[in-house]
Amino acid sequence: MAIPSGFRELTEASGFAAANGPWFEKIEDGRAIRGFLPGAQHANALGIVHGGMLAAFLDSAMGVSVWQTLQRRAVTLTLSLDYLGPARIGDWLEAVGEVVGHDEQMAQVRGRLYGPRHQVLGGLGAFALLSRQRTLKTRS
Amino acid sequence: MLQDDPPPDFLKIDFARGRPEPTFNSHIGNLYVKRGEKGTRDEFVMGFRVHQHMCNPAGGLHGGMMMTVADLVGAMGGGTAAGLRKFLPTVNMTFDFVAPAKVGDWVEGRAELVRATRSLLFTNIYLTVGEQKILRASSICKIPSGDGLSFGKARLVREDAKP
Repeated sequence: MAIPSGFRELTEASGFAAANGPWFEKIEDGRAIRGFLPGAQHANALGIVHGGMLAAFLDSAMGVSVWQTLQRRAVTLTLSLDYLGPARIGDWLEAVGEVVGHDEQMAQVRGRLYGPRHQVLGGLGAFALLSRQRTLKTRS
Repeated sequence: MLQDDPPPDFLKIDFARGRPEPTFNSHIGNLYVKRGEKGTRDEFVMGFRVHQHMCNPAGGLHGGMMMTVADLVGAMGGGTAAGLRKFLPTVNMTFDFVAPAKVGDWVEGRAELVRATRSLLFTNIYLTVGEQKILRASSICKIPSGDGLSFGKARLVREDAKP
């Protein structure tokens, strides 16, 4: 399957994100949409995409939405996920995050992960905002 | 190169069982399990060594890796405690990222069975490095009706079973 147009591969990924990618991203109206094409290495014993992989992917999309909205780096404090339906190997998956509230220290983020037919995963998380002075070499 | 060097009594889990394509559980790195005394909090302990390929750009253990292992501990450890030998699809998980872990740390995961109904399994999960808790999680799994899919696809690699 071809990667849908407008999506750019996140080549700056390292570590876990690089080992389990590649992940893609498209910026639309100032919002980041992340994309991912699961292969056999992302499957669980049932042959559908592993819940841990879906969790990692949605978490990344929710984290980047904080950056897009607030221009602040963030780390996940808490994350609650609802597994709504299975994702199949070879299905193009997309994930988006939306900042629903924030103050100087924290952001509340809603996220959803969906496939070509249906919702796969819903998320609600609290992210700690890193101080503006603090720099990280890269971001995943 | 960093070796896994698991503590005594931990056995590597063979998720692939000779199938050519790795699944996510083997792709993320080696996972180990220790079966303690029945009825104790160590009845099912999952463990792994933190390697660079499990980390985030800041150099800490990636949250995705923590969530993946917690998911497995909830279904496998919670299922073991409830005496279930089926595949238990996850319905809900909640995670609190309490502390970071770094390359070289040995991480352990334990599940506490909260309640098993006919159709749902509720568990609490902690990941720890030594005495330090790094992740608190709670999970709800569906218990499929009937026999469901058998949970016996993974096996433990025992020294004496090697050819």
